[in-house]
Amino acid sequence: MASFKYALRDTARLIFRHWGLSVLTLITAASVLYILGFTALFSLNVRHVVSRIEGGLVVQVYMKKDEKPGVVLEAVKENPTVRSVRAISPEEALDRLRAKLGNQARAVTLIGENPLPWSVEIQVHRVEHITPLVRDLVVFPAVEEVIYSGRLVERLSAISRASSTVSGGILIMAVVISAMVIFNTIRIAIYSRKEEIEVMLLIGATRTYISLPFVFQGMFLGAGGALLAAAGLWGTYSSAVNAVRSALAFLDIIEGGHILYRFFLLLFATGATMGWMCSWLAVNRFTSRAMRPR
Amino acid sequence: MDIRLAGVTKVFEPDIVALEDVYLSIDQGEFVYLVGTTGSGKTTLLRLISREYLPTRGQITVGDVNLRKIGRNRLSFYRRDVGVVFQDYKLLPNLTVFENVAFVLEAMGIPSRIVQNRANEVIDQVGLWRRRFLKPPQLSGGEQQRVAIARAMANSPSVFLADEPTGNLDVRTSEEIMRLLLSINAAGTTVLVATHDQYLVDAYRQRLVELHNGRLKRDEKRGRYFFDGEL
Ligand SMILES: Nc1ncnc2c1ncn2[C@@H]1O[C@H](COP(=O)(O)OP(=O)(O)O)[C@@H](O)[C@H]1O
Ligand SMILES: [Mg+2]
Repeated sequence: MASFKYALRDTARLIFRHWGLSVLTLITAASVLYILGFTALFSLNVRHVVSRIEGGLVVQVYMKKDEKPGVVLEAVKENPTVRSVRAISPEEALDRLRAKLGNQARAVTLIGENPLPWSVEIQVHRVEHITPLVRDLVVFPAVEEVIYSGRLVERLSAISRASSTVSGGILIMAVVISAMVIFNTIRIAIYSRKEEIEVMLLIGATRTYISLPFVFQGMFLGAGGALLAAAGLWGTYSSAVNAVRSALAFLDIIEGGHILYRFFLLLFATGATMGWMCSWLAVNRFTSRAMRPR
Repeated sequence: MDIRLAGVTKVFEPDIVALEDVYLSIDQGEFVYLVGTTGSGKTTLLRLISREYLPTRGQITVGDVNLRKIGRNRLSFYRRDVGVVFQDYKLLPNLTVFENVAFVLEAMGIPSRIVQNRANEVIDQVGLWRRRFLKPPQLSGGEQQRVAIARAMANSPSVFLADEPTGNLDVRTSEEIMRLLLSINAAGTTVLVATHDQYLVDAYRQRLVELHNGRLKRDEKRGRYFFDGEL
């Protein structure tokens, strides 16, 4: 426990001795994590919007006159991409039509006989499940036609895929860059205390004791950078939310709530972990070399 | 702790033989001078004992520790039990005398109140009480030497190694340091002093081991600096 206290004191010394470098590292880590967070939030929102639209995506299968939907129900029953299936009788379809038409509904009744066919409403889990499903269903002779929003479907899945790829790429780049920056800062800090560390090792200080201040420094830089990034993101994101809400009200983006809290927590943990690992690697490399007998 | 060297040879790349086939046995609580001209291998021998070096051939055991087999974590704990006064002191120039001594103890996870007491105690013992807030560059050679001794004895090690602790010091200061080393030895610590200080060796006679070109030349109970023929 005593070592912990000394380590904290030394961490403060390290940070202040190289305060210019510390600030620079903090800013770099913050900027990179900000970009990372921004991309991640963007991609999260695209996924969110797409999944909302997916939820409303329905494939409607109209049967030929006097055909029952049994074959279609049978065909999709075992299909794992299908979320829900509902057969709609001509009576129910007529009721719906009436409800839609309101006071003009009488015109429909005037025809006398119900002209509407059986139909089936199918919801799938993901956008990309629609096209193969439609392809399977149009071949049934009992099926008159299959209606779905084809263009929109393809666009959406393309956007969703692209945004995942891009944000994945940016994620990797951001992690690599900030890891390198933190690693390098810690290495400079270690070299500035090279003699001190060598003497400490000769005198019997454990590697853990020697690592602690540097590891704390790394975590401070990583976690501090993440906090700054989170603050910046919070600002940008809330104004983005307001702008979207007034201009594109139909877009249902993520607001407040625990998704965002969890996201910021994750960002913070990412920063701290990265700082911890980089500094640990840097010190460990140095002390292992210094302790090797000649 | 006792120190045993068996057939120890140290060759530096490519072909500098610093020590050759040295057998040496030092018991717990002994005081031993290690003498010899510059380049005879004194520092190399001490560094083998502190495991900065590994022997090219041969075995070294200190207490029950075989230095060839010791792992990194155990090495740290081993070194706490072996106090070393380095030839170049290795003091940290931007820490005060007090901090130079205290940080060794801190590194061992000792609570700060005990660190304070112990650091003050050894600083007082080496006679630097009034200099405890100065930094090494502000001190004379003899004072720096004494800080190095204070640091090495702070943890009450079982083995004390000093590499030319009186090099470049005047006679009076050398005698003070010698008395310090003897008092450390009197407390039961094994002390090994590399030196070529003829005056001290002859004034305070102790077991004397002489190296010559890396070979053990002499090992006498109460030897004189220059071999006088009567054992
Ligand atoms: N790290 C080293 N690399 C190469 N040669 C060394 C090294 N250390 C010592 N030597 C050589 O080993 C010999 C013994 O040196 P040393 O043990 O320092 O002698 P002493 O301390 O008795 O003056 C010398 O010839 C010296 O040049
Ligand atoms: Mg020497």
